[in-house]
Amino acid sequence: MPTTTDPAKPQRLELILREIDSLPTLPTIAARVLMLTSSEDSHIREVVDLISADPPLTAKILSLCRRADRGVRGGETLTVEKAVVLLGFTAVRNAVLSIKMFELYGPNASPYEQSGSEEPDRTVPRGQYRFDRTNFWRHSLAVAVASELIAAAHPQLPDLRPSEAFVCGLLHDVGKLALSYVLPKAFSRVIELAELHQTNIAALERRIMGLDHHTVGKRLAEQWQLPQVIQDCIWLHGAPFQTLPSVEHRRVIGLVGLADLVARYQHIGYSGNFTFKDKPEAVAEAMGLRPSVVQSITRELHGRLYEQSQLLGLDEEPSQELFFQSIQQANLALGRLNDMLEARTRAAADQTRILDAINAFHAQTPPNGTLQDVFDALVASAQSVFGQGYYALLYQPLSGTADAKTPSGRQWLMCQYGQRGRPVRTQWVEPPVHSPELSGLDPEQAVSVRLMGVLPWLTDYLLDSQDIRDVQLMPLRCGLGTVALILHDRPILPPWRQLQALTVTWASAIATAAKHDGAKRLSEELADSNRALAEAQDRLLHTQSMARLGEMAAGAAHEMNNPLAVISGRAQLLSMALPPGSKEHKAAQVIFEQSHRLSDLITLLRMFADPPRPQKKATDLSALLDATVKRVQAGLARPEQAKAITLKIKDQLPPATIDPLQIGDAIAELLLNAIQSSPKSSVHVTAQRDESVPGVVVQVSDDGQGMDPHTLSHATDPFFSAQPAGRRVGMGLARVERFAAAHGGKLELRSTPGVGTVATLTIPLDS
Amino acid sequence: MTSAEHSDLRTKQIFTTGEAAEICKLSQQTIIRCFDSGRLRGFRVPGSRFRRIPREGLIRFMRENDIPIDALENTKPRILIVDDDEQIVDLLVDVFKRDQRFEVKTATTGYDAGVLSEQFRPDLMILDYMLPDINGNVVCKTVRENPNLSNMKIIIISGVVNQEEIASLLRAGADEFFKKPFNIEKLLARITELLHL
Repeated sequence: MPTTTDPAKPQRLELILREIDSLPTLPTIAARVLMLTSSEDSHIREVVDLISADPPLTAKILSLCRRADRGVRGGETLTVEKAVVLLGFTAVRNAVLSIKMFELYGPNASPYEQSGSEEPDRTVPRGQYRFDRTNFWRHSLAVAVASELIAAAHPQLPDLRPSEAFVCGLLHDVGKLALSYVLPKAFSRVIELAELHQTNIAALERRIMGLDHHTVGKRLAEQWQLPQVIQDCIWLHGAPFQTLPSVEHRRVIGLVGLADLVARYQHIGYSGNFTFKDKPEAVAEAMGLRPSVVQSITRELHGRLYEQSQLLGLDEEPSQELFFQSIQQANLALGRLNDMLEARTRAAADQTRILDAINAFHAQTPPNGTLQDVFDALVASAQSVFGQGYYALLYQPLSGTADAKTPSGRQWLMCQYGQRGRPVRTQWVEPPVHSPELSGLDPEQAVSVRLMGVLPWLTDYLLDSQDIRDVQLMPLRCGLGTVALILHDRPILPPWRQLQALTVTWASAIATAAKHDGAKRLSEELADSNRALAEAQDRLLHTQSMARLGEMAAGAAHEMNNPLAVISGRAQLLSMALPPGSKEHKAAQVIFEQSHRLSDLITLLRMFADPPRPQKKATDLSALLDATVKRVQAGLARPEQAKAITLKIKDQLPPATIDPLQIGDAIAELLLNAIQSSPKSSVHVTAQRDESVPGVVVQVSDDGQGMDPHTLSHATDPFFSAQPAGRRVGMGLARVERFAAAHGGKLELRSTPGVGTVATLTIPLDS
Repeated sequence: MTSAEHSDLRTKQIFTTGEAAEICKLSQQTIIRCFDSGRLRGFRVPGSRFRRIPREGLIRFMRENDIPIDALENTKPRILIVDDDEQIVDLLVDVFKRDQRFEVKTATTGYDAGVLSEQFRPDLMILDYMLPDINGNVVCKTVRENPNLSNMKIIIISGVVNQEEIASLLRAGADEFFKKPFNIEKLLARITELLHL
């Protein structure tokens, strides 16, 4: 179809305008009549003369006069002069104009034959779409009459003069005439298309010929030197009133547009236009006229039109018939409109169904659902739209998202569903080596193609009950390309245009779920590594604080042990000088002892923070336990305390590679701790193998005072003591834990206040 | 005989025949005769005929011949105390003063310790591990590399206890390690042991 982008357009426009220039001019008589006004008697005289000079015109005017039945009695001789008086100047003038224009451009006129110019083939093609000149004139006349009627209904508006309105209405579409003469073939094509698409003619004229009847008509009006108001009506009557330039006769232009609309609403004649932008009442209101005027003039329109047609000899149809014809045409138009509407309704119903399916699918898809959730919802949705049957989904994980479940990135996930949307089998399928990626399956392929032709290898994977020849394939595409494939055994599907919205929705849901899955996995991994990081930080912090404690203890050892050495040495010197047994001697002894105790504490602290590496060697644990218990017992102040300790070695303990000093100290600390809890009756030490480590578990349990949760949680902190000040150095359990850790073992404490404490030391046989 | 000469004789390990004569209150000729007959054990300086008598040989000779060995025996063992903490130094000085068996000199830096080791020729050095200018192990090593000081005993005392460090000190040539605060009696006992007193 040619468009306005035709490069030859300017030349063509020029050609058309030249052609218009060559159109026959307005008949002299009509031109002269047009110039005359009723204000002067001389003008009336001139009109009479003009009419009298044209016998057929005279006959028509007189006939008009008789039909008008303006006080003309039978037999009375009617003269042109009398007729002018009877009919009035303007009526006669308008009649003359109409008759002359009709003669020139009416159905039987052939200006070129008259002018004898040699023109290319201008014969209008035979066929349906001829420019119906009779009906065109009928339209023009109807607009003229309507314009006159509207103007007459508004005597209070001086700018609306009925006679002027009539002329403007009569000539408003003269551009169409011109086009039909200059470019008959193109114009009939315009008419054909306007009818086919039920659209308005001006846009098609511009598209096909490069200019519309408004412009051509204006050019013609200029050539004919018609008054400015008529020129503007021809040019601008198609424009909405609001957009008209603010010229003096603005309302007249609007009036012609309104009359045009009224005539078209009444389906009188042929205008080439099929759509209505506005209702006449709304247009009237916009112009500042009473909306009711539309109704009142419509009632009058048919009668007046009949009169005028008679005058012009347009046809002999009585007004009633004309009216019926109008109704018929209106019916025809209505029928066409109905057909169109029905087609649209059908499309809308289909679209609604698809839309409902999309809504239902969205409702069924759980938010943040997994890919499998989306598959299930998708198949349910497909069943509701296409009907129940076999369905399967094929999905290839996006490359780059290495899924633990798929051994190689090339595999496709295939989920097959039974008759009722029940998932039957989900498996990974392996495409043949050279088959394309799923996303690369040609997206231009039809809606549904036979699986056989595209992925025949899938037959191996189909459910046994399924024949590959029945299975069709539908690609699900969204912006990312083909996301997945639906397999189904439905023979008939809704038209693709409507399906697309649904399949795009499905595809987007899959893509979203896939992304969501990936994001979820990522965030889980992130959380894992965050946890690991936090733990590492904790350990680092612990190590750092231990290292700082170690440095501090080392510094303290150096700085504090020097003065302690002086205190200890001076006390010792003092005690040597003092008489043995004296109070002073004893005091000096105490000073000496206490300074060493303080020094031991510093040493412990330092060893705790920076423990010496275990000096491991093969050790008989049973012997070590035995010796340790004896050592502790020997150091206890009261014999009953020593008696309370019992040792029971359950199994034959295997030799362990440990630092006997550290482990011995650890066990001793546990024993001392138990003794200090004031056991009611006993401290049990048991030792047994633990094959799970493998190692040895030494358990020290007492029935002493026990520890509350707060004490328990701080039991292994250095210097922590739940006891009032003055008890034994609170380093014991801290040392046990350090020694156990140095051997890859651990210390666990369970305690109930008032019941007792169980300390469990696990030592691997060989760390 | 000046006290300086006396002091020199007491620290000497090797004596000439003249010095031995003076110590034993005998004529040089007698010493030479005893040397040559083998009753006084000694050696001749390589490449010459000069006789030299080691301290041990002289003492045995004097004991065998009932010559009073006051001039040698009365010389107390010399102890050098090296510590940057003056209180520690004072304490140890008091300890040895009370004991009366030792002649004591003190130093507060590694450098002073080195100088005094050469001059004073201590039989034993009590060395603080952490000195302002130098660490104990370096002092140990230096002493052990000097043949003149090869007999000197070294006891290291330190407030910092680290088994690995102690092991490396002992390897560097220290004879004993004491942790501060130390038991005076144990320290004296060990010193007596090391000096064969």
